Amino acid sequence: MMNDFIQNISPSINDTIRSLSLFYPEIGIATGFILVVLADLFFHRRSPQASFMLTILCLALVGCLNFSQLGYPAEAAFGGMIIVDRLAVVFKIIFCFVSVLFVLFVRYNQSLQNSSKGTGDLYSILLAVHLGLHLMVMSQNLVMIYLSLEMVSVGSYLMVGYLSGNPKQSEAAMKYALFGAVCSAFMLYGMSLLYGFTGSLEIYSPQFASFLITTPFASWGLGLIMLLTGIAFKLSLVPFHFWSPDVYEGAPTPVTAFLSTGPKIAGFALLIRILAPFQPFNLSGIDSSIFSMTTVLAVMAIASMVVGNFGAIWQNNVKRVLAYSSIGHTGFMLMALFVFSASGFKALIFYMVIYSIMNMAAFMIVDEIEERTGKQNIDDYKGLGKSFTVLMIAMVVVLVSLTGLPPTAGFTAKFLIFSAAIEAYNLSGSALMMIVIITGAISTVVSLFYYFRIPLNAFLRTGENQVTGIKGSPKVYITLFLVFLLIFFILFPSPIQKLL
Amino acid sequence: MDYILSILIFLPLVAALLIIVLGSSFRERFKYIALAVTVIQLFISIAIYLDFSSSTAFAGINKESQFQLLEKIPWIRLDLGSIGKLEIDYFLGIDGLSMPFLVLSALVMFVATLASWEIKTNHKAFFALLLLLNTAVMGVFCALDFFLFYVFYELMLLPLYFLIGMWGGARREYAAIKFFLYTLFGSVFMLLVIIGLYFSVINPATGNHTFNMILMMDPSNYIGNSIFSTVANQELFGISARLLAFIVLFIAFAIKVPVVPLHTWLPDAHVEAPTPVSIILAGLLLKVGGYGILRVCISIFPEAAVQSAWWLGLIGVISILYGALNALAQTDLKRLIAYSSVSHMGFVLLGIASGTVEGVSGAMLQMISHGGLSAMLFFLVGMIYNRVHDRDIASFRGLALIMPQFTAFVVIAFFASLGLPGFSAFMAEAFSLIGAFTSAEINGLLPRWMAIGGAVGILLSAAYFLWTLQRMFFGQTRLKGGDIWLSQLKDINIREKVALVPLAVLALALGIFPSLAFSKMNASILAFIQLFSG
Repeated sequence: MMNDFIQNISPSINDTIRSLSLFYPEIGIATGFILVVLADLFFHRRSPQASFMLTILCLALVGCLNFSQLGYPAEAAFGGMIIVDRLAVVFKIIFCFVSVLFVLFVRYNQSLQNSSKGTGDLYSILLAVHLGLHLMVMSQNLVMIYLSLEMVSVGSYLMVGYLSGNPKQSEAAMKYALFGAVCSAFMLYGMSLLYGFTGSLEIYSPQFASFLITTPFASWGLGLIMLLTGIAFKLSLVPFHFWSPDVYEGAPTPVTAFLSTGPKIAGFALLIRILAPFQPFNLSGIDSSIFSMTTVLAVMAIASMVVGNFGAIWQNNVKRVLAYSSIGHTGFMLMALFVFSASGFKALIFYMVIYSIMNMAAFMIVDEIEERTGKQNIDDYKGLGKSFTVLMIAMVVVLVSLTGLPPTAGFTAKFLIFSAAIEAYNLSGSALMMIVIITGAISTVVSLFYYFRIPLNAFLRTGENQVTGIKGSPKVYITLFLVFLLIFFILFPSPIQKLL
Repeated sequence: MDYILSILIFLPLVAALLIIVLGSSFRERFKYIALAVTVIQLFISIAIYLDFSSSTAFAGINKESQFQLLEKIPWIRLDLGSIGKLEIDYFLGIDGLSMPFLVLSALVMFVATLASWEIKTNHKAFFALLLLLNTAVMGVFCALDFFLFYVFYELMLLPLYFLIGMWGGARREYAAIKFFLYTLFGSVFMLLVIIGLYFSVINPATGNHTFNMILMMDPSNYIGNSIFSTVANQELFGISARLLAFIVLFIAFAIKVPVVPLHTWLPDAHVEAPTPVSIILAGLLLKVGGYGILRVCISIFPEAAVQSAWWLGLIGVISILYGALNALAQTDLKRLIAYSSVSHMGFVLLGIASGTVEGVSGAMLQMISHGGLSAMLFFLVGMIYNRVHDRDIASFRGLALIMPQFTAFVVIAFFASLGLPGFSAFMAEAFSLIGAFTSAEINGLLPRWMAIGGAVGILLSAAYFLWTLQRMFFGQTRLKGGDIWLSQLKDINIREKVALVPLAVLALALGIFPSLAFSKMNASILAFIQLFSG
C-alpha cells in the first residue's frame, strides 16, 4: 500500500518543482502581501506610505514577470490544477494595470487616507485579491475555480466594508456578502453535481469531455447552470445583478472602481475557461434540444443590456448610473462569447482593456468632484463645466467612449464586439443572435441618453452657486493620462493588438 | 502635394488645438485664427477644383485607380483567426461626387465663421468645437474607407451637440439631444451593416477582409455564401439581406438629409442653434446625408436601390410637398427656412431616385446650390435676430425702407431659392425634374406624376417665399419694437457683405454657367449611372 505512493512521490515532487517556475508572478504577489502586512505593522508610524510604495513595487514587479511569460507555450502546472497559457497571461497583465490604478486611486482618495484605519490593510487585501484574480484566470480544476473565486469574493467583501462609516456602507457590504455567499453555495453544489456525473474535477480532462458527449444535456445541464450562477454573480449579470447598484453606491469609490473592473474581467476569463469544454456542443448539439446553453447566455445578455441601460435612465446618483451602465456593458461583452474562438476572445480582451480604462477614469472623476464639492447627483452637476472645465471635458471623452462613439477607443472596442457577434450570427444564422445584436445597437442609443445627462448638466446648464476651480491634483493627472490613452488607442490600437 | 487632402482635413484640428492651448488673453483673436483657417481651406479647395481632371479616365466611383489625390496608409490590421485578417486603411481620395462638396464646405465654413462674430460667450470652446466640426465634415467627404468614413461621420455629432446645446436658444437642451439621438439611432444600425459588409468583402490583392468602399462596390469581391453576397441571396427576417442593408443605410442617411417623416429633429435643431451652426447644419450636414446616399447606399447596393427607387422617389415628392406646406404655415422666419430646406432636399432624393444622368446631375447641383443658399438665408435671418432678438414674421413690416441693402440680399436669396431662372436652384430643380420626368422612358424607375408633384413644390416655394417677402419687407415700415428697433436695425456692414457676396455670386454663377459644376462632375455621374441602373 505504502509502496504505491512511494512511486508517485518523486514524479509529483518533480512536477511541483517544475511548476514553481511558472508560478513566479504569484510567488511575487504572496511575498509582497507578507511584506505589506509587515510594513504596515512596523513602519506605519515612521513612514505612513511605506505600504503604498511596497504595493506599487510589488505590482510593477509582477507586471514584468507576467510580461516575461507572454511567449511561453501553454503548460499545465501543479498536477493540472492551473494552466499558464497566453490567455491567462494577458488577463494577468490587465489585472496588474487595474490594480496599479486602484492603488494610486486609494493613495489619493481623501476619505480613505483620512480614515482611522489607515490604508495599509486595504493594500494587503488588494494583493490577496490580486492573487485570487491570477488564480481565477489560470484555474482549470473545479476546486481551484471555487477556491480562487472565494478568495476574490472574501477580499471584495472586506474592501466594500472597509470604511463602514455609515449605515449605507455597512448595508452594502452586508448585502454583497450575503448575496455572494448564496451564489457561491449554488456554485459549489453545481460543481459537486458535475463531479458526481463525470467523476473528474479537471474540466479539460478526456473523462470530463467524454461524459459530456455521451450524456444528454438535460442531465448535467442543471449542474452547469448552477456553476454559472456563481460567475454571473461576479459579473453582475441579470438576474444576479441586484447587489451591484447598492454596493457601487455604498462602497468607497476606489473600491467601486476596482470591483467594476478587476473581478468582472476575471469573471469573464473564468466564463471562457468553463464554457470551453462545452463548446463542441454549443452551437450545434445542444441547440437542438429544448434547453440550450446559447439561449441561456443570449437571454442573459439581452436582459442585462435592457435592465442595465434602461435602469440607468431613472438614476440620479452618478455611481448608481455607472453601476447600471456596467451591467449593460457586461451584457454587451457577453456577445463576444457567442463566437467561441480567438476572434471573440480578442474582441472581448480589447473591450475589457478599454473598459477598465474608461471605468477607472470615470470613477476617478466622480470621486474628485465628490471630494471637491460633495456632489454625487447628476442634477447637482449643474454648471460644473465652468469651474472644473478640464475635468469635465475629460469626463465627456470618457462618456463618449463608454457610449462607444469615435473618436475614442470605446468605439473600436464596441466595433470589435459587434464584429464577433455578427460572425456568430453568420455561423449559426439563429434569429436569437440577431435579436441580441439589435438589442446591443438600441442600448447604445439609450446609453447616450443617460450618459449625456452629465455634460448636459455640466455644460448646458448653469449652477446657482459657482464653486471655485481647482488646480491640478494627482488624480486629475492620472485621469488625463487615461483619457489620453482612450484617444491614443483609436489612432494606434497596435499596442493592444500585439498583446492579443 | 501628396497630402493635400490630409492638410485640408486636419488643418482645422491643429488650429483647434492651438486655440485650446492659447491663454484666455488671446480670446479676441480666436475668431481670426478660425477665419484664417477657413480662408486657407477655401484657397486649397479652389486649387483642387481648378486642378481637378474631368476626363473619363478620372471618373472614380467604383474604380480606385481613377480617384484623384489618393492617400492610402494602413491603419489597423487585426488578425481575427478563423475568419482572416481585418484591414482598415487611412484611405482618402476624391472624384466628381465629392470634389464639389470640398469647395462648398470650405465656403460655408468661411461664412459660418464670419457669422460667429455674434457669439459673445466662451470663445475658446466655441471656435475649438467649430474647427473640430470642420475637420469632421471635410473628412466625411474625403474618406473612402468605410471605417474612416464612419469615424468622421460620428465625429460630427459631438461638436454639434455642444454647439447647439451651449450657445443655442431657449429649448436648446431638447433640440441638442434630439438631434444627437436621431442621428445616432440611424448610425448605430449603419455600423452593423458596415460590419456585415466587411465580413462579406475580400480585398482580392491581399485576401484580407476590407473596409475599402470601392472594393465593396464590385460584386466579384464578395465571398460566395456571405451575408451580403450578390449571388447567395441570403435573407434576414424574410427580406433579402442586401435590400435590408440598403434600407438601413438609407434610413441612417435619410435622417441626416432629412426626409419626411424622419425630419422632426431638423426644425428644432435649426431654430435653437446659433446662426453659424444653423448655417453649417443646413449648408453642409444635410449634404452629408445626400452624399452618403450616393456614395454608400446606392453605389454598394445598386440593385436594391433600383428595387426601391419608386419608394425613394415617393419619399422625395412627399418631402418636397410636406416641407413646402409646412413652410407656408410658419410664423417664425427661421423655422420657415428650416422647412424650406426639407422641401428643397426632397428634390435631391427625387433626382437621385430617377437614376438618370439629368436627375443625378440635378441632385448634385441642388445640393451645392442649396448649400450656398441655405447658408445665405440663415445668415440673413441671423442678422435680423442679432439686431433685435426677434424673428417672427409678423413683427416686421416694410424692412426694405430701412434696410435697403439687406433687402437686396434677401431678394436675391429668396428668388434664387424659389427657382427663378438665372439662379442655381432653377438649374438644379429643373434638371432633377427632367430626370424624374424622363425616367419613365429611360429606365422606368419613376412614374411621371412624381415629376409633376415636384413641380407643384416649386410653385409652393414661390408662394411662401414671395408671401414672406411681401409681409416683411414691403409696405409701410411697422415694427413690433417701435423706435428702439428702428435704431437697432442697422443696414448691412462690411463683414456681412464679405460673407454674403460670395454666396450670391455662387448662386448666380451656377445659374448662368451650370457647366462650372456639371463639367467637373459629368464623368463621375456617368460612371455612377452605369453602376446604378446599368
